[in-house]
Amino acid sequence: MGIDMKSNVKSKIVKTIIYIYLSLLAVVYLLPLVWMLFISLKNDKEIFTSPYGFPEKFMWENYTFAWTAGQLGTATLNSVIVCVTTLVFSMLIGAMAAFAIGRMKWKCSDLIMTYFMIGMMVPVHCVLIPLFKTFSKVGMYNNLVGLILPYLTFSLPMTIFILVGFFKSMPGELFEAACIDGANIYTCFFKVALPLSKTGLFVTGLMTFVNNWNELLLAMVFISDDAKKTLPVSLSKFVGPYNTNYTQMFAAIIIAIIPTIIVYCCFSNQIVDGLTAGAVKG
Amino acid sequence: MDKLLRDKKAIALFVGPGLILFTLVLFVPICQSVYYSLCEYNALTKPEFIGLKNYISLLKDEVMMIALKNSLFFMVFSAISQLLMGLFLAAILMNIEKGRNFFKNVYYLPCVLSSAALGLLWMFIFSPKLGINQFLALFGVEGPLWLMDVNGFINLPMKVIAFVALWQYVGQSMMLYMAQISGIGKDVYEAAYIDGASKFKAFFTITLPLIRPMVATAMSLNCIGSLKFFDLIFNMTEAGPNHQTEVLATHLYTQGFKYFKYGYASAIGVVLLVLCLIVTFIINKFVKVDNYEM
Repeated sequence: MGIDMKSNVKSKIVKTIIYIYLSLLAVVYLLPLVWMLFISLKNDKEIFTSPYGFPEKFMWENYTFAWTAGQLGTATLNSVIVCVTTLVFSMLIGAMAAFAIGRMKWKCSDLIMTYFMIGMMVPVHCVLIPLFKTFSKVGMYNNLVGLILPYLTFSLPMTIFILVGFFKSMPGELFEAACIDGANIYTCFFKVALPLSKTGLFVTGLMTFVNNWNELLLAMVFISDDAKKTLPVSLSKFVGPYNTNYTQMFAAIIIAIIPTIIVYCCFSNQIVDGLTAGAVKG
Repeated sequence: MDKLLRDKKAIALFVGPGLILFTLVLFVPICQSVYYSLCEYNALTKPEFIGLKNYISLLKDEVMMIALKNSLFFMVFSAISQLLMGLFLAAILMNIEKGRNFFKNVYYLPCVLSSAALGLLWMFIFSPKLGINQFLALFGVEGPLWLMDVNGFINLPMKVIAFVALWQYVGQSMMLYMAQISGIGKDVYEAAYIDGASKFKAFFTITLPLIRPMVATAMSLNCIGSLKFFDLIFNMTEAGPNHQTEVLATHLYTQGFKYFKYGYASAIGVVLLVLCLIVTFIINKFVKVDNYEM
């Protein structure tokens, strides 16, 4: 009895320490973001006089200014166009390839799978210059298509990887039944396989979207025209060589990350599943 | 049925688009990159074959050496710190019930945010007069120049950036480990506890060996990720002051798109690619073991 009590007390202390530690760490994670939110609502002088507290008066003007001066409207639209197009095509092309690799029977399927998987190891930097030269030649420089193509290509390996797992785990009877009902291979894919892999598609779609929404390097290299810039690139407009207007820049950053935060809050569990699903199976 | 699944035309139609895209946007450019790296090539001239000269000048390039040093430091630091911290957090979170989801989601949050945006935020926090230093000044402490002090073999800005990267990406490793740990059957632990093992002992003798394949995966993801690292550095220091926080990716960007030395930048790209392949190979060879049946 005595020992039980003792170990009970001990485990309670350990638990408290653990929760204190976790909470402190959570503060380290959230504080910078909250601080940024506060500063984005202050006026320029307040950063120097009272940088920490709640804003005296909410300066919503910062947001309107950032929105207009940073051309964030156009940037958001461009980001949405690029990300949504990439998303749709990567799901379609990825699912088709994954279906052929995971479900259909042919000799080279393993070889092709390896070919796609190499893409996971290749850093985008080493194709940057050739792509830049080619795209300039064929008029895809300063063109959103020039962003969509590489984004699409680099999101394919992960999409295919996760979806192959999905298609492989589907019971074969499903397809046999469809086949007996007179379905051809295309009906099998579009009417049976695709609807059944909704979770997988959703998860890969979210990942593709988040990754491309945040992409900076390609967007910087392939686009120089202000009217074609995406969100991550537009943000650095607020950094000046001599002084940076932090209140407005932070307002712009908040505008840029709010969509991701909303998506994350709604689907955090699915995102987490998706990001781990691929790696766990490997 | 079998005939249906062997339909060659359908297979070609299904795999075709992906394959063409992959070849045109990835495979062919890699080959071009290798060729350009052997050429004298800039914005005005046509590529002219010069053999290994670019690679030889890479070896003599001081900035390249700084970039290589920083990239390798960054990779080793990320691999080790993310392994320890990620495992630690995963192990703790798997052992608590209340608030697991909340903490998990909070620690993972920065992973989905744009590192370009977060880089700008951290630039403010570590700026000379604002952010942390403003706070330290309240106590009469003069804070260091976080992003400008260039003394030491690994300078302060690189360390600061490495910690920011740990802050941003440790959630990913944590998540991968948690997924793997939750796949281990409860009965294994129960048997161990009946045999009198403590929680610590169970962690080291059961959890750790069983998640070894995941350690390999997470480590290769970390290493490749940190070799490609660009956004945070570019927005926090722009690789300055005086190239002291240059890494391979930023060096490639500067050489290729500020000085338009395409051949030279391609050589950096090839070095980067080779490093990625070597690291993946080493990790898979030495850390990865066959998956245990679970």
